[in-house]
Amino acid sequence: MIEIKLIEECRGGNFNNFRKLVEVTSPFAYSVAFRMLVDEDQAKDVVQETMITIWQKLKKIKSAEVYKTWIYRIVVNKCYDQLRKRKRNPEFVADELTWELISNRLSEGPSADLENKETAQIISLLTNKLSPKQKAVFILSDLEEMSNDEISEITGISKSAVKANLHYARKNISEKVEKYL
Amino acid sequence: MTMKPESEKYNKVLNILRNSKPLLNSTEDIEREVINKIARAHQNRLYLSKVIDFLFGWVYIGWVRRSLITASIILVLVFVYQQSIILKRIDFLSRQTVIIDRENVSTPADEIEKMLLIYKNSGRRFPSKTITISEKQMKELLESVNELQIKYKDLENLIEGDPELKKLIEKKLIESNRTRINL
Repeated sequence: MIEIKLIEECRGGNFNNFRKLVEVTSPFAYSVAFRMLVDEDQAKDVVQETMITIWQKLKKIKSAEVYKTWIYRIVVNKCYDQLRKRKRNPEFVADELTWELISNRLSEGPSADLENKETAQIISLLTNKLSPKQKAVFILSDLEEMSNDEISEITGISKSAVKANLHYARKNISEKVEKYL
Repeated sequence: MTMKPESEKYNKVLNILRNSKPLLNSTEDIEREVINKIARAHQNRLYLSKVIDFLFGWVYIGWVRRSLITASIILVLVFVYQQSIILKRIDFLSRQTVIIDRENVSTPADEIEKMLLIYKNSGRRFPSKTITISEKQMKELLESVNELQIKYKDLENLIEGDPELKKLIEKKLIESNRTRINL
């Protein structure tokens, strides 16, 4: 949980408190970036860029209350940029063996503690046919557990579009889950 | 969550993914990198502002600024004064325009000058303000001057060739008290 007092102090230009803010903000910014990009290095780059943007524009946000939504919006936009850049690069396509490995790992149940690499592989396999927007909506809704209102605010798309994108993403993913796992 | 489970498998996968949050091992690295980048950007900005200060900082000195303002006001006033003089001169010159039968003159300027010189040499004076004369009239005038000059030379030769006639003319001239003619 990010303290509003800390944000307010950083808004006042306190550089020492900003270190603390980076420490608190980085993990959840990284979580979204990693799930969107499924690449550790790129996710770290996005987090770094996000933190620099925050420092530059922190004074411009209306209040500390909107900080979290604002951060998610920056992260998601930076992820869109990255995804657009790598559009031409072929996505990771799993073979039978990879699916089997993932299936075994998932069979361990909710206690299965996945490593970043495994999480990346699974997300990549499940979402490789989705558009960046659908991917963002799915990750924010089903993995980051946000409401449609919040997602609409973060992604800048209407609530009905959020619902439509989410429906399509879920359908696509559940088809894959049924087929391969 | 607002979603209804699509299937048991789907739900299971989602739960596992949700529980395995991506771990950021190098928070300190990111923190250090961010701080470095911000400090570097800040230093660059400082360097730039120092360069700008060095180049243009003198404009902030009070007396320099006042002098610049005064100089600029003087320059503007000089410019306005110069422009008014130029306009006056243009106006004066436009009133001196030679209008020839309200038609445009196509004769080259040096030829007109030559014509005017002859006109002047003929002993007549220009009217004080404007001359209204056509090109045709000017040509006729020049032709008559040329003709007159030829006739004058012929007459001169004739007088030189006849001493009696010369004496007679001199006598007549003295008698009539007319203008002295130096033969």
